[in-house]
Amino acid sequence: MSKKIFDPNIVAFTCNWCSYGGADLAGISRIQYPTSAKVIRLMCSGRVDPVMVLEAFKNGADGVIVSGCHIGDCHYSTGNYRTQVRFQALQTALESIGMDPQRLRLLWASASEGQQWAEAITEMTEQIKKLGPSPISGRGKK
Amino acid sequence: MGSGESPKVGVFVCHCGHNIAGTVNVEHVAELASEFPNVELSTHFMFMCSDSGQALIREKIEELGLNRVVVASCSPRMHEPTFRKVVEEAGLNRYCFEQVNLREHVSWCHMKEPEAATQKARDLVRMSVARASLLEPLEVKTVSVEPHALVVGGGVSGLRAALDIGDRGFRATLVERTGNLGGNLAKLSTLYPNNEPAKDVVDRMSLAAEASENVTILLNSEVTNFDGHIGNFEVTVKNNVTEEESEMKVGTVIVATGFDPFEPIGYYGYGDSPDIITLSALEEMKRDGTVLRPSTAQPPKNVAFISCVGSREEGVKGHEHCSRYCCTAMAKVAAELREEADEVLMLYDDIRTFGKGHEDVHRRARQEHVIFSKYNKKKKPAVKINDSGIMLKWNDVLSGENCEFRPDMLVLANAMVPPEGADEVAKIFSLTRSADGFFNEEHIKLAPLTTHTAGIMIAGAAQSAKSATDSTTQASGAAAKAVSLIARGEVEIESTVASVIDELCSACHTCVTACPYGATSIEATKGVEVARVTEAKCHGCGTCAAGCPSGAIVMRHSTDDQISSMIAALLSSAFVHGGGEK
Repeated sequence: MSKKIFDPNIVAFTCNWCSYGGADLAGISRIQYPTSAKVIRLMCSGRVDPVMVLEAFKNGADGVIVSGCHIGDCHYSTGNYRTQVRFQALQTALESIGMDPQRLRLLWASASEGQQWAEAITEMTEQIKKLGPSPISGRGKK
Repeated sequence: MGSGESPKVGVFVCHCGHNIAGTVNVEHVAELASEFPNVELSTHFMFMCSDSGQALIREKIEELGLNRVVVASCSPRMHEPTFRKVVEEAGLNRYCFEQVNLREHVSWCHMKEPEAATQKARDLVRMSVARASLLEPLEVKTVSVEPHALVVGGGVSGLRAALDIGDRGFRATLVERTGNLGGNLAKLSTLYPNNEPAKDVVDRMSLAAEASENVTILLNSEVTNFDGHIGNFEVTVKNNVTEEESEMKVGTVIVATGFDPFEPIGYYGYGDSPDIITLSALEEMKRDGTVLRPSTAQPPKNVAFISCVGSREEGVKGHEHCSRYCCTAMAKVAAELREEADEVLMLYDDIRTFGKGHEDVHRRARQEHVIFSKYNKKKKPAVKINDSGIMLKWNDVLSGENCEFRPDMLVLANAMVPPEGADEVAKIFSLTRSADGFFNEEHIKLAPLTTHTAGIMIAGAAQSAKSATDSTTQASGAAAKAVSLIARGEVEIESTVASVIDELCSACHTCVTACPYGATSIEATKGVEVARVTEAKCHGCGTCAAGCPSGAIVMRHSTDDQISSMIAALLSSAFVHGGGEK
């Protein structure tokens, strides 16, 4: 088999108002970052059911980002408080099944933070490249 | 189209001229998409949003009986409304449309990796095709618009907006936090470019507003509670003096909360000498009489100005913007001071007298022999204060000379910054902020007066630093937006709300505590307790659905199945097309 560089597949759940806008701004500003993250646009990061995150990992995602407005800036006032609580529970759950919690990231990015969005994706991609493919995907084995 | 009908998806990939096609192989993406499940047609076109692009979509819907449409083009934050309208014109429900962002999220941010960008584009289209296959048509709801506008902020922008709405014969309530109308403008002496006293302008507008039977002015008041949706907002206004609260219904809101003059602590010796003042303080001094040197109460003989204080500072959060008023304001007042003072010096970074009539103001300052010197941005002017007064040293960029000047008064042209309380205003009206802290418009060119919260407009310095001229222009525009909404009488609202599957609900109250709007409650139906959603209160965030342990809440247009289908479509492609194999 040809030697292929590991190219992580990251599922990025973003809210419509802040983070999706931030990702748009990164593009508008022509900030370059890896192609690893594929955005699923939701209205609020509070829409991210922990089950969906687990589903992404179960299906072989190498990483998952949940991204929303900064605390206090939520378009739906308090939706992202829920996100934060759920995120903490998820990290604990991942750890307990032996999955590196670095594969899951919570990112607060406003619509003006295109740079932060691009940096976060770049950072996480590098991090996951070091961790290697998800142990669940079965792609890590030769 | 019934929801039971099997999906026939049309995929339309846009080149956006060279914007997408310059990086992404759009022909290839369209070709691959034709093999995705349920895809009846997959094609590409130069500009999908153009008249001919829109006609193509309508034509194919009718010709092939497509019942779901995926357009892979730019951000849905820009053109989702456009394409929803297109599919509607061809007889489809607007919620049967799905957009893929191949421009902002792919071609523009992966310009150097055309191959990887094309693969990502393919993945995103596959995800959206999967979601589109599960989209359900939803009823489009219309609500009546309360013929009453709320204007927040009684500065020049708020006054202009309220007056325009009143003139058109609709009711406007103007809420002002302080006890006076006119905002920052009321603190100025005369206004450029035509030297009109600021007081005259403020008085003329305030008197007209007070006289208007359609305009209600609430001073010393703040909005403390805000609920509802476009057409029907419920507002609570509190009078901070009497502590009384009043409630009202409005159909639309204009936020005109203006700016604060920047207090330049830490800049050029500000605060270390009474003779170092801001341009705003100088203006107030002029308004109240003559300009006197604070330490001696004598007219100043040598005055220096420094431009861009707290403005245009790269890398300093909240201070990167040009404040857009100071160059002209400084030139105006410098020329005026020259009538009495021996020397007036203007240290500038750049001179930007860009507005109508502004260049005349600049020219007049030159004619009055105001000394202009461009300072070195990397080595800013140094201010030393000792017993003999203020010593100013700087490098004049154009001559390369190191210069010195002993002003008896130093004036700092301070920036416009978002006002105190902007955080609260943003929270109350769900507004987003730009990097400099001002409120974001929906789109800088396509929708510059509306915000991402439907029914809420912004005007004046609340949106970005600007002069009174630009503020009133924008305020009239925002008022026109508000009036057109009220005059229409009714408006369509999003149908993307939550609903409950009674059989699955265990009345655990999770959704009740999760909802930020109190839209969910537990009610007894036929003796059994189940969750209920009050649709008028639901904003569609989906926080309840994500929390429901029984999967009893269906978040319309963002269902669990629709989201899961995207995850599966992405990750199954990883197995098929590689990425990770060694």
